[in-house]
Amino acid sequence: MTDDGDEGGDGEVVVDRDEQPTLTTDGGAPATADDEQSATASYVTRWLSDAGIAEYLGVLVVAVFLVVVAVGVVAPSSAPGQFVAILFSKGTLAATLRRTVPIAFAALGGIFAEKSGVINIGLEGLLIISAFGAAAIAQVTGSVWIGLVGGVLASTLLALLFAVACIEFRADQIIAGLAIWLIALGLAPFASVVIYGSKNTPTIDTFDRITIPVLAELPFFGALFDNSPDVYLLFVAVIGSWWVLNRTRFGRWVRASGENPDALDTAGVDVSRVRYAAVSLSGVLAGLGGAALSISLRGFTGNGPTMVNGRGFIAIVAYLFGNYDPVGALLSTMLFTSLTQLQLELQASGVLSIPGPVVRTIPFVTVIVVLALFGKTRIPAAAGDHFESGEE
Amino acid sequence: MVEAVRLERITKRFPGVVANDEVTLSVERGTVHALLGENGAGKTTLMNVLYGLYEPTSGAVYVDSDGLERDETGELAADPRSFDSPRDAIDAGIGMIHQHFMLVDTMTVAENITLGSEPTKWGGLSVDREAAREAVRDLSERYGFDVDPDATIADVSVGVQQRVEILKALYRGADVLILDEPTAVLTPQEVTDLFAVFEELTAAGKTIIFISHKLGEATAAADEVTVLRDGEKVGTVDTDATTREELAEMMVGRGVVLETTTPDREQGDPVLSVSDVTVEDDRGVRAVDQVSVTVREGEILGVAGVDGNGQSELIEAVTGLRTPEAGEIELDGRDLRGVSRRERARSGMAYVPEDRQERGLVMEFDLTGNGLLGSQHDSPFSEGGRIDWGYTREHTESVIEEYDVRPPTPETQAKSLSGGNQQKFVVGREVARDPTCLIASHPTRGVDIGSTEFIHDRLIDLRAEGTAVLLVSSKLDEVRELSDRLAVMHDGRIVDVVDPDAITEEQLGLLMAGEEPESVPRADRLASGADGAEATDDDTGDGPGDGGRGPDDGGRGPDDGGRGSDDETEPVRAATDGEEVSQRE
Repeated sequence: MTDDGDEGGDGEVVVDRDEQPTLTTDGGAPATADDEQSATASYVTRWLSDAGIAEYLGVLVVAVFLVVVAVGVVAPSSAPGQFVAILFSKGTLAATLRRTVPIAFAALGGIFAEKSGVINIGLEGLLIISAFGAAAIAQVTGSVWIGLVGGVLASTLLALLFAVACIEFRADQIIAGLAIWLIALGLAPFASVVIYGSKNTPTIDTFDRITIPVLAELPFFGALFDNSPDVYLLFVAVIGSWWVLNRTRFGRWVRASGENPDALDTAGVDVSRVRYAAVSLSGVLAGLGGAALSISLRGFTGNGPTMVNGRGFIAIVAYLFGNYDPVGALLSTMLFTSLTQLQLELQASGVLSIPGPVVRTIPFVTVIVVLALFGKTRIPAAAGDHFESGEE
Repeated sequence: MVEAVRLERITKRFPGVVANDEVTLSVERGTVHALLGENGAGKTTLMNVLYGLYEPTSGAVYVDSDGLERDETGELAADPRSFDSPRDAIDAGIGMIHQHFMLVDTMTVAENITLGSEPTKWGGLSVDREAAREAVRDLSERYGFDVDPDATIADVSVGVQQRVEILKALYRGADVLILDEPTAVLTPQEVTDLFAVFEELTAAGKTIIFISHKLGEATAAADEVTVLRDGEKVGTVDTDATTREELAEMMVGRGVVLETTTPDREQGDPVLSVSDVTVEDDRGVRAVDQVSVTVREGEILGVAGVDGNGQSELIEAVTGLRTPEAGEIELDGRDLRGVSRRERARSGMAYVPEDRQERGLVMEFDLTGNGLLGSQHDSPFSEGGRIDWGYTREHTESVIEEYDVRPPTPETQAKSLSGGNQQKFVVGREVARDPTCLIASHPTRGVDIGSTEFIHDRLIDLRAEGTAVLLVSSKLDEVRELSDRLAVMHDGRIVDVVDPDAITEEQLGLLMAGEEPESVPRADRLASGADGAEATDDDTGDGPGDGGRGPDDGGRGPDDGGRGSDDETEPVRAATDGEEVSQRE
């Protein structure tokens, strides 16, 4: 712990070294109070000089939004007024949450897989197969809950197939993931045609809404307590996923497996098993999302890109945007779904007319802009790499 | 003696290779045992067998931390152990610290130490983080380590990371610690600290086996040394009863000249001059901070420093692989700003990259293809966009022959060569460009003693021919022996430019750690011809310093006399140069 301070004799060197920025390791600790003071004083000027395009853009967007809301509150009958009314209506929030469910579940699944080092680009396929599986089994058994379990099983089996290809047979994860999507995209409508003679399943029952007394009466936030069970299930899953990843042994192993599998292997934990477990878990979570989708929409529709229609890919965007954090993934999913929902309601009320497809590109544009400008998402170091024990 | 580990006639075969041939190793409890040998001698394989990463083809492993018991007839009472996985070895009290640390950068010290054996609470629902921290604190205190359990691995120094690795093994109850090349990434001071840690551990009854190819370390830290060569055990010797020369001969199988001699030579005009160059790394952090160095004709300028202090970025800026933020780089007086890699190579800059597999070779290409690399645009290798494979092949053959690359066939794929042969080929290819300036980055990293000797001789030949050589290496012996002047880098800056013959290892170590020792033998005489910025640096340094360093100057008297007077060196140089070259060919 030698200090950098002055020592007689080698003055010239000290001069030289003092010009260096203070090292953060040890020594040189004083003057924090001064720093704080000047930090507050010059924060604005510092920000103005440090801020890049990203910061300016962000501030601009927030400012425009605040102005619109302010105008809306002052003049409720104006266009901004209608906008504010829709923005803060219970109905908008409730609908946004329902839209969020399948995407956020898939995103949670993606987090587990990728944190463990397996990039699961086949989330879309898992959603499709579980949406169909849930609808078909609910139709046969007459119970949406058995349907839900069926959907989860279908998705988990497909995820296991993916895991075997990637872990056991060391297939390229991206290609195997695309294969999973294509398999599901072909298989689900085909099975539907075989069973029902149509790409769409017959109409099925849906979840009963669960209303929590009193809390459901709250303005706006009441929507959180007056919704179908899959929404509640999602909240539980988000919190549970966060806990598992950050607080349990399994979560540590998953993270280690994605960052430095050799470290985990030499610590005596079987990396392949951890990855199998993580990918299976991603199947379970994505399965919950897919099943919730078809059950809440009362059946599976298999035309074109099927009823899943790209939600699995938005899920990937959402968890990247949320930096692999379950809560972050939920929030970013809600950002995207609320934009879609707002757009629909605004078009319906005639306040705004932007073509729907333009709005649907927003998640992708946002993520590209955000990743390019901020670049905060940190991909697990070993994501996409195969692992073989004892490999030197 | 009480044996803690006994490996009995271990043979390990890989397809086509016998990595260990009937090797017997016995290690006494509470001692430090060094496993010495060149690269490819089978040291790591043997330890991987002990650690359960490899299953031996034949032979038996006996382990007992309390010492192996023998019955009346002298036979081992214990049953042989065989470990199917590291887990088994860990359970038997064996811990291994790999050459590349097995740490998760994004996790904390405590998380890494407990990984795989986390204490839990609430019936396994949660990791008990407080208990983990407490356990780490206990262990650190018991063995006199100084680590913060909550620091993130990415933020701590390499020395601390190594301690974390040792703690990790101790946390798992290891009684026998295996360390694979533990000193490769450390500064001399950190090495000293590590050896002190060894003493603490053996005093506590732990047994240490460490792998090394450095003679000095083996003799300094170990009680006993076992030498392996080509997969076979050459012998086990007591360090008190042997010499470095004897060990070297055991390793290589023939007499070796340990010291490389650099004949004195008068340096000419500056060839490469770097002034006030600032470079940022991939994360946008300033990795090189206003560095100025000059390399002159017929001079080897060494750059010493712990890896990751900006050497790589400096080299990348010089070679044109990275654009500096500020500063000037000149080759033969030509400003290199905006000059492409290809153009730099054409103007006489050759480059031996630090990672031969990443940047030096295309592993999937054969040697002919690799011999072409860097020359593919130039006559006579290519004419009018067509490559002359016949010429390329001949050229490759001549490199292979001159540099004794094995196997000596141009059709061999680069990836099937051993590391030493790959390196010899890269060096050979670059030297064959007949450069005016050679940038050599870790030219002997991971190369065995024989090839290292050879590469060193080539660098000295180049110097004799008047080439300016910029040599970056983390091997202190290497830079000290080869360099005419030695620049020490720390935290992106050149801390000092010193005389490699006069500086002590301790002073060098302090400089590498960014500290300033009391007095340093600067490369005064040699530096005086340097241009602009560097000269100023030295002037400020020498003004007050010269007077104050009187006694030290006196101490360096004989040395100064030896290389000081220019008049004498001049004629001698001409003679030695001629002889040197003719003798070597």
